[in-house]
Amino acid sequence: MTKFTRRDVFSAAAGAAAIAALPLAGPVRAATPAAGKQAAGWYRYKIGTIEVTVATDGVARFKMAEDHVINIKKDVVNAALAEVFMEKDMMTTPYNPICLNTGSKLVVIDTGTGEANYKKSNGVGGQFITNLAASGIERAAVDTVIISHYHGDHINGLLMADNSLTYPNAEILVPAPEHKYWMDDGEMSRAEKGRIEGNFKNVRRVFNADVLKRVKTYEWGKDVIAGVTAQGTPGHTFGHTSFVIASGSDTVYVQSDVTHVPFLFVRHPDWHAFYDQDGAMAEATRRKVYDMLVADKMRVQGFHYPFPSLAHVEKVGTGYREIPVIWNPTI
Amino acid sequence: MTQLTRRKLFAGVAAAGAATALTPLMGRSALASAPAAGKQAPGFYRYKVGDYEITQLSDGARTFPIPDGFIVNLDKDKTLAAAEAAYYPKGQVTVVFNPMVINTGSKLILLDTGFGPGAFAATKGAIGQLGYNMAAAGIDPKAIDIVLLSHFHIDHAGGLRTADGGLVFPNAEIKVPAPEWAFWMDESNISRTNTYNKGHFPNPKKYFAGIESKVTRYEWGKEVAPGITSIATPGHTPGHTSFAIASGSARILAQCDVTNIPSLFLTHPDWQLMYDNDPQLAFATRRKFFDMAVAEKATVVGFHFPFPSVGHVEKAGSDYRLVPMPWNPTI
Repeated sequence: MTKFTRRDVFSAAAGAAAIAALPLAGPVRAATPAAGKQAAGWYRYKIGTIEVTVATDGVARFKMAEDHVINIKKDVVNAALAEVFMEKDMMTTPYNPICLNTGSKLVVIDTGTGEANYKKSNGVGGQFITNLAASGIERAAVDTVIISHYHGDHINGLLMADNSLTYPNAEILVPAPEHKYWMDDGEMSRAEKGRIEGNFKNVRRVFNADVLKRVKTYEWGKDVIAGVTAQGTPGHTFGHTSFVIASGSDTVYVQSDVTHVPFLFVRHPDWHAFYDQDGAMAEATRRKVYDMLVADKMRVQGFHYPFPSLAHVEKVGTGYREIPVIWNPTI
Repeated sequence: MTQLTRRKLFAGVAAAGAATALTPLMGRSALASAPAAGKQAPGFYRYKVGDYEITQLSDGARTFPIPDGFIVNLDKDKTLAAAEAAYYPKGQVTVVFNPMVINTGSKLILLDTGFGPGAFAATKGAIGQLGYNMAAAGIDPKAIDIVLLSHFHIDHAGGLRTADGGLVFPNAEIKVPAPEWAFWMDESNISRTNTYNKGHFPNPKKYFAGIESKVTRYEWGKEVAPGITSIATPGHTPGHTSFAIASGSARILAQCDVTNIPSLFLTHPDWQLMYDNDPQLAFATRRKFFDMAVAEKATVVGFHFPFPSVGHVEKAGSDYRLVPMPWNPTI
């Protein structure tokens, strides 16, 4: 049998003897042009009677900063990227909001980076409403938007590029501690310059008068809507919130940003992403959440997991490993 | 912070309080609840290999009770436990089917056919989805120039024919591995089949009856279509073939059925799946193929890998593990 070496494979290719082709009947047809377009990024599954549509907002690709993981040297992070066959020094961050159909309501959880980013990134990010529409859900039909925390990739999609409401008919449910923190002028005045200060400004830009009219706050440990319970998972931000979605005996944990990309931060829960406002608190939260997910064999839906972002979690050494749920070609 | 136990979580659900409104919502008419879509996204996914555009297509999935002897050299109890540990429903396993289309710029090539339209009707769309997903991807079956077959099992070649015997790809040349053809077309070889393949033995003659003139037999280690080289990977069937697909400096390996469900068989290359006609040879082939894939850090496509079926293979102890390629929301 053929030897399995590159050399052989390529020498075979190079020296390819033409295989005697039988003539085809009929006229010669023109070559089919390449499509050049990706499939619309949406995926459906059920939690009991709740229908979940994951619609990707796309990704951001950028050169990784020296302090992308603030407590780990960049060459160690690069080694972790190499383990998952990813390019050195580069970070690709996926954004994956979801939409629930509870039977009585259409509910979006987190909004992605918004239409303005779709334009700015030439369609690499900001895809959420496009993919949601491809799945048959129009933004005007959304009844409720639930926000996990106030980072731009989760809230910017509340607004269209012209600053009109993306979800003109929706109420907007936000975590009370998160809203209190970012809308507090005293906190803003004490914020460290740079990213945190910038986030305060962005929150105030997004939460304009039109948005604020629709905002209601929710508390941790309570139902945000029937079937969706808010759970405080602070650290990433102080009011960062995750959700348990339950219907019948079925549950899924919507972790929001308990971890950022799983191939770094699920594998290494002690790594502190520079996005985490309080790294130690975020790590403690991460371990509690992931120990629970492992113990309960609960599926997790992760905003920054690769699309469609649904996985089981296993304990491996001192960290964890995400096991993507296999794509179900029917629902 | 909130204790992260299920008990607390669910106590939270029970004690649900209403969200506190910051400001009342503007008089918004109640929207009718949107009906559940009940429909999965079409199963196609695109990526480039050099100048070639590849479309991974789902032919669907089959979930079934694990039969006796599913893994020939493993006790049923252990087999059931392994499947459960891989998150399959108790007592069951899911096999997925993923053909692919390669657009070389000059030729449109389908690699394996799935089960075909007859199976689609018979299973109410569980399998035989290729035609549906090709249509969603904008690929006309009449535009397929070459159907390249890896081997003659029904999930790979059955889709040549419609339920009434018509040709699904009427303008395509059909390229088959010469040793596969020699094996299945010779009646005396039925004595060299295991139980599963004995039952399958009459099928290939049915697919090819009357269209022998469209069939070209190819040898191993040759360029069988532009940039596509056949690699001998016998064992699963006597003529089972894998492919290297190369364009420019980019190259991927299509393993076809060197292994099946990666979470069971890539992690246990010594386990003998009931469909492997020569289990010892299949095992030797697996080792060689995956050692090559690991050494080259090759991108590997697997017909039975979860959709979209593209990833890398890493060495895990003496065995292997699939590292799925993250979904790229643009091409």
